[in-house]
Amino acid sequence: MKDLMKDWKIHALCLILVIVSEFIGARKFAFGPIGFSLIPMLYALILGAVMGVCKLVNKEEMETSSEYIGISVMFLTAKMGSTIGPNLPAIVKAGPALLLQELGNLGTILIAIPVACLVFKMGRAAVGAGFSISREGSLAIIADMYGLASPEGQGVMGAYITGTVLGTVFNGLLVSFLITLNVFHPYALAMAAGTGSASMMSAALAPVVEAFPEMAETLSAYAASSQMLTSVDGMYMSLFIALPFTNWLYGKLSRKYSKKNAE
Amino acid sequence: MSEKWIVRIKVLLLSAVFSSIGNWINTRKADVPVNPLMAAPGLIAMFLCIVAGCLIQDFIEGKFKKFHLPTILYISMITIILSIPGVPTADFIASSFAKIGLLPLCTPILGYAGLSIAKDLDDFKKQGFAIVVVALCTFAGTFLGSAIIAQIVLKMTGVI
Repeated sequence: MKDLMKDWKIHALCLILVIVSEFIGARKFAFGPIGFSLIPMLYALILGAVMGVCKLVNKEEMETSSEYIGISVMFLTAKMGSTIGPNLPAIVKAGPALLLQELGNLGTILIAIPVACLVFKMGRAAVGAGFSISREGSLAIIADMYGLASPEGQGVMGAYITGTVLGTVFNGLLVSFLITLNVFHPYALAMAAGTGSASMMSAALAPVVEAFPEMAETLSAYAASSQMLTSVDGMYMSLFIALPFTNWLYGKLSRKYSKKNAE
Repeated sequence: MSEKWIVRIKVLLLSAVFSSIGNWINTRKADVPVNPLMAAPGLIAMFLCIVAGCLIQDFIEGKFKKFHLPTILYISMITIILSIPGVPTADFIASSFAKIGLLPLCTPILGYAGLSIAKDLDDFKKQGFAIVVVALCTFAGTFLGSAIIAQIVLKMTGVI
């Protein structure tokens, strides 16, 4: 029983973090046309780190706390599974374009990993940051496979924060730019908007609908269907295709400099 | 009971309590308060699905020593199957899980992560900028990848 209680401090601090963070609540900021948002879990992460820096928790307690990440993430997994089941029948009804563009979500890796390796010569954090768009499901996957305290975990957490704060702005700007290029049909842009993050989808879809108001309904339907498909296949595609592929590509591209570092 | 299971169950129960409190505060702000008692059926069901998933994993990996799949696979498999429309549990899962938001479930996770992160903060700072750029590349990559494929398939199938 004594053993069971010896880590009470970590749990008490975690509870405090949860309460304080949720009380602050989600906040949206805007500087002119550029807006970004902060959410409770970000405060929990940052305030927790501050507690660590202020020596409220010692090194041993930090190690213990990092073991608990992989356990508490299981509720998130259970919840995410329950959103997949009800949508499974819809896959049968989706057309070939909607289904095949799901593979495009692997495009994350093709740009991100070369940039991480060739430009920044990054370590394994690149794998965590580059294999997906780092939303909640990706956190769960990395927490389970590597632990969030690993380099991969740092990568996915950093990318998660980036996405939460800058994701909507970036997607809005990107799509507005792509519309002016006039290469893609609005249907294709709408399907691409469903990347697995609700806020990024809205941000990506808005400029398309604005530019082609007469198609608004079809565009929203395509985006929502693609979004739903990603919520169904995202976790499994990440686990079985994206993560192994990222590891392979990272291994190839990092070989040169990681050898040099080792010498 | 093994050490691993004692810790697992303890942290699961605590996380559930923390999430239910966070969820309460969160839903009060949205004027549809879900108190911990109202969230309890969903959280207990999630807990049972998690325990079942872990038991199945232990069983399978006990039988086939070299076989390893992530725990989240087993857990999500169970909640996926139980929530497919037509399965007797689907309605209960849909209504009880809906009471607990996705984001309040994440707050305790990031709380534990935050508490453990100070030891790696130097690493984190060194790579911060690179990680931000790589993350932005993933957003661009997934969007372009999907748009290119959609454009080609829509053209080929004569939709556009």
